[in-house]
Amino acid sequence: MDQQKALLFGAAAAVRLFLFTAFPSLPSLLAGRVEVSTPVTSFKRLQEGLFLYVHNVSPYDGGVYHQAPLLLPLFSLLPNPSHYPFATNLLYTAVDLLGAHALMLVADSGQSITTRLSKSSRKDLRWNSAAVAASFLFNPFTLAACIARSTSALTNLFVLLALAKASQGASITFILSLSIASYLSMHPLLLFPPLLILCYDVRASKSKVAPSPLSFTIVHAVALVVTLCGLLYVSALLMGSWEFLSATYGVRLLLPDLTPNVGLWWYFFTEMFDSFREFFLGVFWLHVVSYMPGLTIRLRKQPLYVATTLTGIFAVFTPYPSIADAALYLSLVPLFRHLFPLMRYSFLASAVVLYASFLGPTFYHLWIYAGSGNANFFYAITLVWSLGFSIIIGDSLYAVLRDELDVERPELRGKEVARI
Amino acid sequence: MLPFLVLLLFNALLAYATDYEERLLLRPLPRSALLASFQFRSNESSTSFEQQNFRYFPRSLGQILQHAHTKELHLRFSVGRWDAESWGQRQWNGAREGGTGVELWAWIEADDEEQAFSRWLTLTNTLSGLFCASLNFIDATKTIRPVMTFSPEGDHPNPSKLHLLHGTLPHEVVCTENLTPFLKLLPCKGKAGVSSLLDGHKLFDASWQTMSIDVRPVCEENGDCSLEMEQSVDMVLDIDRSKRPRDNPIPRPLPIEDIECDTSKYYNGHDTCFPLDKQADPAWTLTEVFGRPLRGACPLTDTEGPNSHTVCINTPPERTVNANTTGQYEEHRYASDTMRCYKLPTGSDIDLELPEQQMTTGLVLGTPPLYAARAINGHGQERGSVQAVIRNPSTSTAVDFVYLEALPWFMKPYLHTLRAQVTGSSENPIKETYYRPAVDRRRGTHIELKLTIPAGATLTITYDFDKAILRYTEYPPDANRGFDVAPAVIRVLNPQSSDRRGAYLRTTSLLLPLPTPDFSMPYNVIILTSTVMALGFGNIFNLLVRRFVGADEVPSIGGGLIGILKAKVQRIRGRFSR
Repeated sequence: MDQQKALLFGAAAAVRLFLFTAFPSLPSLLAGRVEVSTPVTSFKRLQEGLFLYVHNVSPYDGGVYHQAPLLLPLFSLLPNPSHYPFATNLLYTAVDLLGAHALMLVADSGQSITTRLSKSSRKDLRWNSAAVAASFLFNPFTLAACIARSTSALTNLFVLLALAKASQGASITFILSLSIASYLSMHPLLLFPPLLILCYDVRASKSKVAPSPLSFTIVHAVALVVTLCGLLYVSALLMGSWEFLSATYGVRLLLPDLTPNVGLWWYFFTEMFDSFREFFLGVFWLHVVSYMPGLTIRLRKQPLYVATTLTGIFAVFTPYPSIADAALYLSLVPLFRHLFPLMRYSFLASAVVLYASFLGPTFYHLWIYAGSGNANFFYAITLVWSLGFSIIIGDSLYAVLRDELDVERPELRGKEVARI
Repeated sequence: MLPFLVLLLFNALLAYATDYEERLLLRPLPRSALLASFQFRSNESSTSFEQQNFRYFPRSLGQILQHAHTKELHLRFSVGRWDAESWGQRQWNGAREGGTGVELWAWIEADDEEQAFSRWLTLTNTLSGLFCASLNFIDATKTIRPVMTFSPEGDHPNPSKLHLLHGTLPHEVVCTENLTPFLKLLPCKGKAGVSSLLDGHKLFDASWQTMSIDVRPVCEENGDCSLEMEQSVDMVLDIDRSKRPRDNPIPRPLPIEDIECDTSKYYNGHDTCFPLDKQADPAWTLTEVFGRPLRGACPLTDTEGPNSHTVCINTPPERTVNANTTGQYEEHRYASDTMRCYKLPTGSDIDLELPEQQMTTGLVLGTPPLYAARAINGHGQERGSVQAVIRNPSTSTAVDFVYLEALPWFMKPYLHTLRAQVTGSSENPIKETYYRPAVDRRRGTHIELKLTIPAGATLTITYDFDKAILRYTEYPPDANRGFDVAPAVIRVLNPQSSDRRGAYLRTTSLLLPLPTPDFSMPYNVIILTSTVMALGFGNIFNLLVRRFVGADEVPSIGGGLIGILKAKVQRIRGRFSR
């Protein structure tokens, strides 16, 4: 097992370092792609922020840098990536490997199949953790995000760490990684309720006496708030003012930068009438948030599945999604190998996603460079992409509910069912 | 070849301060171009200005300045490009020039920045009404506060309370409606004096033209202060183009008999011709070139002394110049006869006539301190880079200068990609940098660089930028034309210019194409996006709120559309079977 893991990680690191060194212009090419780099994750914008920070100009007193303040001292420790990119490349490779390690921990915990309150009837159907990690490490979307040095790779790492620590019942590290993930990109905060339930379940099944749910929730919520406030306070100390709040979270909330991406928001708000802009911003955010309580309540027994589905929803319905978010979801889906036989549209969904991944760059080129297409070409592809992912999400949800039904009423296994 | 002393002399002539004076300088340039430089200057003492007692200073402008607490004002309306390669040194060292479009900068007295900005808005809005220009569109996104590029020309008693604000409108089309209010500010209002030559048809047809208004306080050593207003119009006319009659303005090729052909070339037909460049200086008269006669002197100018010599023509001494008038005029020669100045007759027209003449000598045009060109590199509507190439023609002196760029907010430069490189040297020419980044929809980018360029070297400045996509209501009606980017302003610091105006040059404006959305389909986008979101939401919540049961546990007919249809079919069948 260890040998297999070493081989896998070695191969993944080799592929990344090979791509970095053999194609020195590839990182900047990918970093310029709108599918990979969004205004809130772009490495070029990070470099600009870093340059301003090093030269004592506030990077938040401008419209270019919208990323978290603590990334600046972190990256200013590394040598300048435009002259000595190796250290940065190594960092991003390490981030991916750590993420894969965290994913293996999640897979090893078995929480995707057997939780405290439910046990799948297909529990023997699973991939081992190395296979799951390989699906993350060699996913072309993960690779592209890593080569483009998008900072969503860091967010992905901390989300995976939070999942791993929650599925091990390690409260402190779970709260810490989740708050760093939320600090970096805000929306992972919505993962807190399902992961809290996951953490509680694991703790309860480990110890003989289950801890009181109320005090458990309060302690963890307070701990999360305190860590987040601590991070923000340290950032404010570092920057000397609180203006970074509006430049980072304000931009994610209000979408002033309409650079195209794979999501649904940018073209909608480009074409939106000015008087309805605020209303629809509220509706869109409410829509993203609404999935969290619904899924958490209905699938109380399978919190890891809820967290996975939420990452999928983030990859489609947040304001600045990129393929790195899609990569996170797609690498978590193999944890639920036992649901694959129950999925009805897997061929359709994978065909749609493949179609969008190939035609997206083409249509973008037609619009921006060739001039033979217009904005609707790329917009149509983002619609298809989002549709493809919502098919995967909906289909896997159907599968997990069907699987639950098989546990509750084994006599219906393999029979036709209807929804009432 | 004669030494070129004219500029110095011309400036020296203007040093005498009287209450009103005007002047026109004509200088034939290579390739049948003609520089015409009009200057009008009026003074008003500070005390009478404060008591609103206006004589030569226009009341309309004076009251605006008082209302907006503006102490020094510079306003420019420009079209075209000064071709420094063939026309040489700029008139007034470029200090009375603006970038393409409208440019305005002013020193405003205020207690703090906010007050200064609100007074600036007052100023732009009132000037917009006075000059029929869109100056009211100079808002926060087009206003910058330069730190090194401009310094006050006037004497200010308390400079600590003054705020410098600068705004440009590169998209503005300068035209006749801006000239009319400009002429109205003059005491003779274009009815007499040199201003009677200013005609919109010719002025805005020029290869290059700039109109400027400069107001500044001037204090003598004994403490007497006055407010000085300088208005100038500089233009370079194409003589052949200007001589086209107004009733037949379409340019047509000359009949082949009138063209001098290059006989050393091989012709396969009698109707082909390689035209030779004309060696002779073309013939022209003031009336032909400006479209109207010069209506004598403005009676408010001095009648004696050098200030009464209001029209000067700068040609080699051998050039024939005939003055045709019925009135009394005087001709004076300065600067080894290269400058002929005329005292105009009062009350009668005068016309200067230059016949076609084969010249053996020419004027030496001054060399500008720097040549500058700027362009956008790259293709596509996503990103690009700006490249400015600045050349120092001098073989002996290095030039220090300030380079100012004010970019619109939707053009997002990356300062970490800024490179300045001098040919043949690895030393960084950037001595100082001032950078204020743009904020979306609130503020534009402001870059000022202090650079040194060694003798004979070429300096290249490059930086990358991203193009933002705007909301569809923010695009102008001609969105696919692109957006104008204001010209870069270059101020030459060293070698210093001889007067307080400084020496400037400006690059051309740039055209920046942005990606455009489809303007025709806001409804379609709203509907389609909402459909995809509704599919996702509906699918997920449909699964979440319903319960699974076995397919055989629910009645097969009953609910749903199929059930209704089946019931209908049953009923119809029953009716027929009866």
